[in-house]
Amino acid sequence: MGSAVSYCSPQQIQTVDLCGSEGKAPESTNLPCPVKYEEINHEAYMSLKPGLFEGLRFDVYRSMNRKFGLSNSLFMGSVDLPDCAPDPLKQSTAHFELGANLIDQKGKMDVVLMMGRVLSKGCMSARVKCDITNRFSIKANAELTNEPHFSVGMFNFDYKGNDYQAQLTMGNSAFYSVNYTQRVTPKLSLGGEWMWFGHQRKSCMGLAARYQTDSVITTALVKSEGDICCTYIQKLSDKVLVASDFVYNWNSTEAVTSIAYDHLLNQYRIRGRIDTNLCTAAYLEEKISAGLTLVLSAELDHRKKDYKFGFGLTVGD
Amino acid sequence: MAKLEPVGGKKLIKEWPTWILKKAKTVTHYGFIPLIIFIGMNTDPKPQLSQLLSPV
Repeated sequence: MGSAVSYCSPQQIQTVDLCGSEGKAPESTNLPCPVKYEEINHEAYMSLKPGLFEGLRFDVYRSMNRKFGLSNSLFMGSVDLPDCAPDPLKQSTAHFELGANLIDQKGKMDVVLMMGRVLSKGCMSARVKCDITNRFSIKANAELTNEPHFSVGMFNFDYKGNDYQAQLTMGNSAFYSVNYTQRVTPKLSLGGEWMWFGHQRKSCMGLAARYQTDSVITTALVKSEGDICCTYIQKLSDKVLVASDFVYNWNSTEAVTSIAYDHLLNQYRIRGRIDTNLCTAAYLEEKISAGLTLVLSAELDHRKKDYKFGFGLTVGD
Repeated sequence: MAKLEPVGGKKLIKEWPTWILKKAKTVTHYGFIPLIIFIGMNTDPKPQLSQLLSPV
């Protein structure tokens, strides 16, 4: 006589609980993981805000091996002094930057990532990321200067669930931040953020939504500081996409709308933008030969009569 | 009667986290990039010293 009791593993019991006896998983458990809250409109700002600069830039990247690389950068040009309206004031500056990168990967996971940059002025930025498990990672960022009270340090703890992502941030000056994004449907993600600035005794929060299909990404972000930001990207083909954003501040009742395009080919990538402040910008990266890239940048602000042009060369990938 | 701690000891307890953070900031500022270079030069395949010092 055979045994009337058969072994049922805990996984089988959970599957029956979730899926019923038919064994078909409910739709809510098949949702992919959403993007992080801080990257919710990352794709739009890759096209809308390329790294425009004014002056000369020369970058050299050297890979020692697959894990370790060094970078050297030279910049000579002008930077805008903040809060100088209506006529922008510029300050000539020049600096040399030395950088070092170390990446240790195991499969698709970055087990350890270390990046350091030091400027000739004495400022230093450090970044360390460590993937403890497939779902949990820790990041540490620091921006250190020789001037007192201007250094910043931050720790981030990220957890990635099946259909959600959460992050806890702790920084100096009693700064705390929590954010969470949840995939609600296969195309829609919703998220929220809360921040506390301990020294100023101030808190603020934000809500975000992201709708993504194969060719369209739409995001909306509302912050309690008074900003509303909406972005839209449309992929016209594999090589061309257009992007647009709308930013409104209800405290100052100012609104700006920008439209941009991004054209990517094998040899070059060109991005252009125009906005309602009559400011146009363009950014070109062209591969002249293997390991040598030409970079041209232009920004024309017709309203302020401020015109910026930049020229750069990048050696190495 | 309340027990009073020595003034010097109380001051030390309050100030040691600040002292540690200042020292950690100095160590990170000057030692982080040399640390990355040291670890990177010991990863496989080991780069040569000439590759590190060469400008290209």
